Amino acid sequence: MRNVMRVLLAALANALVLSGPVAATPAKEAPWLPEAAAYRLTLFLGNLAPLPWDDFETTWTEPYRGSEFSTGAVEWLDRESDIEPDGLLDAMMREDRQAVFAEATQLIALRIEEELDRALAAEESATAQQAVRTARELYRAFEDGIAAADPEAARRIGLAWLELNSSTGFSGVLGAGSTSADRETMEAARTVISGYLAENYLLDSFAPRRTLSGLPETAVLSGRTIEVPPSLPPGSDIFDQDPLPRLVLNFEEQGIDETDLPLVAYGDMLFDSAQIFGSPARDLGITCSTCHNRSDINQRLFIPGASHQPGAIDVDGAFFNPTFNDRRDDPLDIPSLRGLRFTGPYGRDGRFASLRDFTRNVIVNEFGGNEPTPFMLDALVAYMLEFDFLPNSMLTSDGRLTDVAPEATRRGEEIFNTPFAGLGDRSCASCHVPDANFLDREAHDIGSVEPGYEGARVGALDTPTLLGTAYTAPYFHDGSLPTLAAVVDWFDETKSLGLTGTERADLTAYLETVGAADEPYEAFDAENTAFRLAFSELTTFASTLDTLLPLRDAEHILLLTDTVAADLAADASTMSNLTARPEVYALAERLAEVGAAVRVEDWAAAEASWTAFKSEADAIEERAF
Amino acid sequence: MAIHLNRRTMLALAGAGAVSLATPLAAQDTELRLAFIPQENPEKLLGDIEAITGWLSEQIGVPVEGFVTIDHAAAVEALRNGDADISFMGALPFVLAEAEIGAVPLLSEVYRGAPSYTGRIFVRRDSGIDGLADLRGHNIAFADPISESGYLYPLAEFVEAGLVEGPGAAEEFFGRVFFAGGYQQAMQAMAEGLVDAAGASQYADLLLTPEQQAEVTWIAESKPIPSHLVIARAALDAALRDRFTDAMMQLNEPENRDKLRYLYGPDGYVRADPAAYHGVRDMARRYGLLE
Repeated sequence: MRNVMRVLLAALANALVLSGPVAATPAKEAPWLPEAAAYRLTLFLGNLAPLPWDDFETTWTEPYRGSEFSTGAVEWLDRESDIEPDGLLDAMMREDRQAVFAEATQLIALRIEEELDRALAAEESATAQQAVRTARELYRAFEDGIAAADPEAARRIGLAWLELNSSTGFSGVLGAGSTSADRETMEAARTVISGYLAENYLLDSFAPRRTLSGLPETAVLSGRTIEVPPSLPPGSDIFDQDPLPRLVLNFEEQGIDETDLPLVAYGDMLFDSAQIFGSPARDLGITCSTCHNRSDINQRLFIPGASHQPGAIDVDGAFFNPTFNDRRDDPLDIPSLRGLRFTGPYGRDGRFASLRDFTRNVIVNEFGGNEPTPFMLDALVAYMLEFDFLPNSMLTSDGRLTDVAPEATRRGEEIFNTPFAGLGDRSCASCHVPDANFLDREAHDIGSVEPGYEGARVGALDTPTLLGTAYTAPYFHDGSLPTLAAVVDWFDETKSLGLTGTERADLTAYLETVGAADEPYEAFDAENTAFRLAFSELTTFASTLDTLLPLRDAEHILLLTDTVAADLAADASTMSNLTARPEVYALAERLAEVGAAVRVEDWAAAEASWTAFKSEADAIEERAF
Repeated sequence: MAIHLNRRTMLALAGAGAVSLATPLAAQDTELRLAFIPQENPEKLLGDIEAITGWLSEQIGVPVEGFVTIDHAAAVEALRNGDADISFMGALPFVLAEAEIGAVPLLSEVYRGAPSYTGRIFVRRDSGIDGLADLRGHNIAFADPISESGYLYPLAEFVEAGLVEGPGAAEEFFGRVFFAGGYQQAMQAMAEGLVDAAGASQYADLLLTPEQQAEVTWIAESKPIPSHLVIARAALDAALRDRFTDAMMQLNEPENRDKLRYLYGPDGYVRADPAAYHGVRDMARRYGLLE
């Protein structure tokens, strides 16, 4: 017997990402069994170029990231199954992609068969139920492929699982309410499942795969073009950082309402819109703010094969836009966008002088989106230029310590301003200029970049600001240093600064003070929830319709309604006020109606739906938490 | 979400049970043994048990040991023979254990401000099904035959409405009645269109994807179902029982709330009111589970 509340709480607390269609709000899914997880990761990694062979091995030998199981698939199989993974391990050693795919696919199919055998042979209904449950979970490894290729078969098999589960018998409670197994029905349901596996997955050889997926063999052999919805593999995490960084917008601090700044509000919407990117980012609900939560960073973001550690991502790898794949495994620690108008040029090496050019590169090249319109780029830039640094009462606006700063930081400040021979007779402050937001807008090679080839002169990186850095660990372009103290140690050692232990501690204290903030994170409570924040943002985005509808600007209206209506409905799943959820769904539909009317150029209907949306949103606002 | 109880774990636990059967009970008032029912990956549960029993031991002043049983029946058996002093338990197994071995309710779990929840009948919003009567001849998925919110209580709504004669006669009203194995499986079957309705806990739609959640609604809600509880064997020393209950109530304090996640993650506990379970006793009798 299950307790949904327990499961639910566990579900909400966990951090896995759901595969499937557009996911504005990432959803937790049930944990994957170790071998099913390893299979899905194998498919994912097998589509990267160059193939990350080292990762394949760990995929099968170690638990996937965030797994609730302490063992990897190979050890798990050793405990749970009579099936030997030798053929798979051998294929990985030979670095034979097609053989790895074939062996792994057969292995999962065999495991399903093994569990079905156990279910049929079990004398106790509890044992049989467990075996059916395990088999069903392993089937998930193929499920999206079957659903994409053959919806009718997916339905037939889905019903077979229901039949199988229902006919397996139940042990009841303390002997009361028990039912016995209906073997005939079990056999019939099993035949449906096993027949499909035999035809499509339990094969001696498979047609060569250009793209690895869970598609059934018969569908591949048919030559039809079948799109399997993009999914992230087990271990991925695109949830928002928790606690959520506080967003400081210049206009907002001055008391100006964003609804009075339509260009900024539209840019704000685009910053949260997956629609501006191409697939797979768009289908996975990945937006600018997925990485740059609230203008800052997302320390938990992790995508296997693209991230070497949480908070880092390789945006020019094989996954997001194969055309832009630079074939170099060089994930970068996600940089904060706070104070963006003072931090140009852009990119870790400052390769883009213009924020507009940089933004276009992100949309078109890194994430495979269509060419943005000039209006979209103007809006995004207008919005991002509002990102301010976090207020810090320990620092004056020209970078000096205030009276409330701790004593040790003053000694640290002195060291910070002291020239060292190892720094070419410069001080830390020479580059991290205190009265210039602790940066100098220049690129320097400090020896932190591993040269890609002998004689390379490509190690110069843009000086990063030190403001707000107390909350953006780890440090350096590759996130190789975990703490500010480690950064101090690195400079002391590599630049022979000769600091004593006390001096290093003082310098660290100074950096922590410079990098501090009065309120670094959003504060939520029972009614001031993350959903309330989302509701406020989404209705603000929608307010740009007041500008766009009179202009009859269909293109930008549809981008807005498609983004915001879907986000509003998806975000409703995070509400704590569950009774108000239906109202939010209805409100989302109202916005979708605006889009539907614009699509058929019925401007009067669009205006009417928009007017209705505004009054309904006002009515719901109080309950929107 | 699945219970990942593997054969090896089950054997190990069964083995542990066999060993403890031989353990003398002389120390019964100087230590507490807690039985846990697996709800999820037992590997995780074992780690959780270690964390919470350590804390409880500090609070109560006697050694506290926890172990995982195979199911509710095994937990009740452990209470009966003194292998366990305390067990975590669903409302239905509790009323059966109460009748069979005189088990005593100590604490009820609180979720979203109440020590109770409901069962609902969910349908897809575009299904055209607006009321229970519309489901005549249609297929429905429930969680399993002894689930309070995933079968017994939602089905009772059809009985109340005069659509189903009584327990055991559901097949005459519906097209097919499936037991999907859990709330999530029942809800998925409904959301994917394999069946037309699902009977599950009021919160079960939150187990669907955000997009699916927007596509489903509910058409009937059961009477409140008392939430899961913590129970004790009848002969447990009253003073020790009270010290345990007091310690558990400390989990409601802000500084201790983080430990609730080691205990299936309720929002807190209240002292159990035996009268709150009358409805479950009645329901168990209606379904022939209790005499």
